[in-house]
Amino acid sequence: MLRYILHRVFMLAPVLFGVTLVAFFLLHLVPGDPAEILAGQEATKEDVDRIRVEYGLDKPLAVQYVRFVVSAAQGDLGISIQSRHPVRELLFQRLTFTLQLSLASILVASAIGLLAGIVSSTRQYSIFDTASMLGALFGISMPIFWLGLLLILVFAVKLHWLPSGGTGGLRYLILPAIALGSASAAVIARMTRASMLEVTRQDYIRTARATGYRESVVIFRHGLKNAMIPVLTVFGLEFGTMLGGAVLTETVFALPGIGRLLVEGIFARDYPVVQGAMVAVATTFVLVNLLTDVAYAFFDPRIRYE
Amino acid sequence: MRRTWWCFAIALLAGAVGLAPDALAATQPVSGGTLIYGAGADPDSLDPANTDSNPGEAVGRMMNNFLVKFDARLNIHPDLATSWTQSKDGLTWTFKLRKGVKFHDGTPFNAQVVKYNFDRFLGPEKPLKASLHTPIIQSVEVVDDYTVKFTLKVPFAFFLNNLAHSATAMVSPAAHKKWGRDLTLHPVGTGPFKFVEWVRGDRVVLERNDDYYEGKPRLDKIIVRTVREDSARVLGLEAGDYDLIVRIPPEEVPRLMREGRVRIYAEQSNRALWVKFNVTKKPFDDIRVREALNYAVDKESIVKNIYQGLAAVIPTLVGPLNNGYAPVKGYPYDPAKAKKLLAEAGYPNGFKTNLWTPKGRYLKDFELAQAVQQQLAAVGVDASLETADWGAYLAALRKPAAENKAEMHLLGWSPSTAEARWGIYPISACDQFYPRGSNLGFYCSKTLDELINKAVVATNRKARDQYLREAQEFLVKDPAAIYILATKETVGMSLKLHGVINSPLELVYVDKDTWKEK
Repeated sequence: MLRYILHRVFMLAPVLFGVTLVAFFLLHLVPGDPAEILAGQEATKEDVDRIRVEYGLDKPLAVQYVRFVVSAAQGDLGISIQSRHPVRELLFQRLTFTLQLSLASILVASAIGLLAGIVSSTRQYSIFDTASMLGALFGISMPIFWLGLLLILVFAVKLHWLPSGGTGGLRYLILPAIALGSASAAVIARMTRASMLEVTRQDYIRTARATGYRESVVIFRHGLKNAMIPVLTVFGLEFGTMLGGAVLTETVFALPGIGRLLVEGIFARDYPVVQGAMVAVATTFVLVNLLTDVAYAFFDPRIRYE
Repeated sequence: MRRTWWCFAIALLAGAVGLAPDALAATQPVSGGTLIYGAGADPDSLDPANTDSNPGEAVGRMMNNFLVKFDARLNIHPDLATSWTQSKDGLTWTFKLRKGVKFHDGTPFNAQVVKYNFDRFLGPEKPLKASLHTPIIQSVEVVDDYTVKFTLKVPFAFFLNNLAHSATAMVSPAAHKKWGRDLTLHPVGTGPFKFVEWVRGDRVVLERNDDYYEGKPRLDKIIVRTVREDSARVLGLEAGDYDLIVRIPPEEVPRLMREGRVRIYAEQSNRALWVKFNVTKKPFDDIRVREALNYAVDKESIVKNIYQGLAAVIPTLVGPLNNGYAPVKGYPYDPAKAKKLLAEAGYPNGFKTNLWTPKGRYLKDFELAQAVQQQLAAVGVDASLETADWGAYLAALRKPAAENKAEMHLLGWSPSTAEARWGIYPISACDQFYPRGSNLGFYCSKTLDELINKAVVATNRKARDQYLREAQEFLVKDPAAIYILATKETVGMSLKLHGVINSPLELVYVDKDTWKEK
């Protein structure tokens, strides 16, 4: 198992190399010049050229790329062209925040999703089942932007229970976590329901019932644990996507997450920030996938990675 | 039951009496409190010499002072300079400086500081805004500790405007020596509020400067939050999470005014929006075509329907609150005349062209371009609309004439020195063609250049403004663009907040007298 994990971590290096290569050249293919954007409308060509020299943007692309890779390998991701903040510092702040938001959202998503999925599967075709699957349909179809604004309108503007946006503690995470977690909750609910329905028709469940176990034991120990593998896959994907940044949620709730850093970096053609953020997002995604794979082995001891 | 009713009535009465002193107190300024300000974007830099964004300049105005400053109507007043004299030839300016002013890091303000700040602009560092001063200032000399003398290369009628520009804020030489280009992350000024922290994408925090030269500011703390989404800013204001927000979308204004739970404050800004012709492309080299297109656009209707009245029609390139603005007669809406002129120019059935526009850079820019496109179509001019994100847009427009594909382009221009010359010269003078300047339509007229030059060297204001008036009259006769409108900046604030400054420079900020009810 340890060997498997080490192997996967080792594989991260070529993945990251590929990501930086693609990100770097894609970004340079897009028309637009960071120096021109930074210098503003009133700037002369001389002003723009001065900035280009200062940030090494006048060098050939290959040189710029090699420079970036060499210093990144030494842990130096450079400074933002837009604001001169060190990229490493920016990434650290943003990732910390995104991790908090993602954890809160996945908590909301799994609490609602698992519960709705399990209950729906045990009471198939009941009113509850129809209602929760209808809810799941809503959860998937509702644009996050709209849901976010609606939540702000109800809980911040009308009821004054929670803040409308910004950072400052757990209270500030509740509404964004609901907005971001709702779509994942829907996916998890549907997956749990389908997987549970399949598992509960298996012979060993009938055997467990025949042996006289309580229904809750049958459902949770014998049923859920076996139904978890596909759910875990969805869970890992959803969590990975959340860690990659949730631009819409971050924008509606004015949150400083990695998604907005990346998107605003792209609009400003802030190359060092975009590179850094891409590396960070790719790393987290790979790590979350690895964690998911390890979790499979926990839920299904038959799965071994040797 | 009856007793309960009486108790309730007495309680109500007591409540009403208790309320009265509070209501009175509302008119009496109080000290203390934190102001939470919802800005639309992050600052680009907090080093005044390197900022070119409204959020950067607005935060700067709370931390810094200038030799002279603009008031809310863009008149110039003493700030760190208490008085000044100008030599007869207009080449020497001598300023007496205020005594007893200290930077936030304790550095005393004096003539050496002024020299240091200007040497920074003129010297090898070349901060972004160096070009504001390098063509004009020859040298700065210390006469004594509190007197400083500027020698100019050419007489320059707008010198005081340049000194009041956001970039010309006085920064602490000690801080600049220590941080260099990273002064942006550790700014030190003399203003009413001191820098605490800048968490990019989230907030800038400032605190009260107890040693401020004009007296202790009323607010304790300012938190400027970055809230990019317009509706989220409005909802946050309504929820009471922000005390002050900028850039309210015009369509939200009627509802907010009707409900009356927040205060809405719209101020005419200097941001002019126009559609520039590329005069190197046919048929825009023909003055009749340029006139025709000005007649073809119904600007009043755009102001009324797209901007809900939160803009003003402008006769030329210049917004109405600039120093030297002249209310000359612009083009009325007259599509029949437009068609006639087009026919005279040899285009009775109109022509095909393109119209480039940014989207989301200026208030309602894309909607404005769409309206112009439709109105031009009504006189037979078929303009295809092209848009791109700001970076790609700039890259497409900032090209020399031969490579420039834009035939018409929409831009906004706000003279940051608040004078009409800056609204005309960099974008319309013959020596300002890209790449030398920002003339992206390649318009060139010797007459206009001469008038502007005369205004520049005029040593009295009356003469200066007369030349500027003639320049604006000329721009009507020989249009460089379809002149459209100047936007208003709409600010929303809590009913408890008093004394916010909504400058026509599109800068919303607070000063030492701004206060918040408890």
